[in-house]
Amino acid sequence: MIVFGALLALLAVFGAPLFTVIAASAMLGYQREGIDLMAISIEMLGLAEMPFLSAIPLFTFAGYLLSASQAPKRLVRLTGALLGWMPGGLALVALAACAFFTAFTGASGVTIIALGAILYPALQHDGYPARFNLGLVTTSGSLGLLFAPSLPLILYGVIAEVPIDDLFRAGILPGMLMLVMLAGWSLWVNRANRKPLGDFSMREVGSALRESAWELPLPFVVLGGIYSGFFAVSEAAAVTAAYVLLVEVVILREITLRDLPRIMRESMLLVGGILIILGVSLASTNYMIDADIPQRLLAFISDLVTSQATFLILLLVFLLILGAILDIFSAIVLVVPLVLPIAAQYGVDEVHLGIVFLAAMQLGYLTPPVGLNLFIASYRFNTPIMEVYRATLPFLLILAASVVIITFWPQLSLWLVAD
Amino acid sequence: MTGNLPLSTARELTDPPGGAPPGRLERLGTALENALLVLLLGAMVILAVGQIVMRMFFQSGVIWADELLKVMVLWIALIASVAASRNQRHLRIDILSHFMPPRIARLPGVIVSAFASVVCAIIAWHSWRYIGLTLEFNDTVLLDTPAWMVQGVLPVAFVLMSYHFAVDCLRNLAALSRDRQGTHVSR
Repeated sequence: MIVFGALLALLAVFGAPLFTVIAASAMLGYQREGIDLMAISIEMLGLAEMPFLSAIPLFTFAGYLLSASQAPKRLVRLTGALLGWMPGGLALVALAACAFFTAFTGASGVTIIALGAILYPALQHDGYPARFNLGLVTTSGSLGLLFAPSLPLILYGVIAEVPIDDLFRAGILPGMLMLVMLAGWSLWVNRANRKPLGDFSMREVGSALRESAWELPLPFVVLGGIYSGFFAVSEAAAVTAAYVLLVEVVILREITLRDLPRIMRESMLLVGGILIILGVSLASTNYMIDADIPQRLLAFISDLVTSQATFLILLLVFLLILGAILDIFSAIVLVVPLVLPIAAQYGVDEVHLGIVFLAAMQLGYLTPPVGLNLFIASYRFNTPIMEVYRATLPFLLILAASVVIITFWPQLSLWLVAD
Repeated sequence: MTGNLPLSTARELTDPPGGAPPGRLERLGTALENALLVLLLGAMVILAVGQIVMRMFFQSGVIWADELLKVMVLWIALIASVAASRNQRHLRIDILSHFMPPRIARLPGVIVSAFASVVCAIIAWHSWRYIGLTLEFNDTVLLDTPAWMVQGVLPVAFVLMSYHFAVDCLRNLAALSRDRQGTHVSR
């Protein structure tokens, strides 16, 4: 058994698709327990029984559609008009715009490509140091992860069976904390060159607002609908997809009908990758629960760890390592079912756990050697990967500090949740 | 900017798909996947929005619509997964591939794809057996739809995935032997 396990781990490290590794481990488990392997197919059909899951393809599609249109440009202009008057304006604009965009496009590296292409040259032009720009844009690519309606939040809600609108509320303040800390750092670094982007002008605000008139209702409808309880998440996702389709394809015509199938496919490649892992992990998780693995794990850990604080430290270290190896989606699907019962034993709230989990995994996007954002930025801005590592490091450290605060200050997450 | 679509994993950024131009089968398969995805995604949007409209204005809804939506998620998951196999876009751990020179990465590529292909084939076989059982018992879902019509996507998708991984394995193998010949010539 151990030999097989090691073999599978080796295959995973050498780049076997994760879902095949998970499926193989589940089937080995079934084989050992004498369960018919048909069970894996039956478990996978459980994909058709999970509530709210349709939100994932629908939001992802809407996000890809938005990033293929001119919406990123309009967003940057609008944010610039609203925040550009502040000292260090453009850096703040970049952070705010990226956070907003990532929340709506689900943290798949889309932000760096869609917004970075606009912001990077603009920052350069405004005289910000090159290394700072690179770090800022790379970091911003996963910044909105904790804001509704980001995909990882939804996925955590589905897996942990936690109300998704609770998670959407819980993410607000921790997400703001990250933003504020990074903004503070940006201002500090550029204290010698804190020039505003321009004077505040009502006219520019008005014209930027008019330009984005079609997209403006979107956050209000989606977030308002979800927070007020009018829409379920899956309904909000359907409305978003339908609305974005209508605006970008029919009204503004920035995306032609001929482009549409390609964009749909592109977005579904990510969705397929996530959902197939979810499908096979339904089988492996069930096997693990049958085999009492969470209980054994808990027994093992409770011998070593007695206090909640120690548990949280251990959890953070574990998540940091996990984030450096696994993408956020696979990590949620695979690890949350194991961690959840253990965390409950130490009195960690499941909503708070979700925020901690995602916040820590967000660091994984930036952790060398394999953080996704690092590679996308290196490719997109034609910079050696080592240079991207160096440029991102201070931002990574600041984010890490914010994650520690988020972890040990549960009220920050739970403030807006409790009724 | 519109021409430059976001890419979802770092893998294809560092490792762009090269090799032979797409053959006829390749194009046909891609077109078929796209058509199905467009159809499903479109139907999903219409159905879900339709449900909301019905609820808002007529205080009613179609009972089976929710179940149908969930079935569509299953279908999208599997068809998109086939597409991801074709384009080598499944989520994976990328530590080694980033740092291994492409020529050295080919051998693990062969092994890993062969493994993936076999796993998918096994799942396809057991799904097929399961469909056989549901046929025997005349299982139904969604009102009176025979279950196999919904669940049949499972074996088909895994056979196709198995095929794509096998193709990838052979491609790597061919490249590997080409490399070997290449070094002989240069020596």
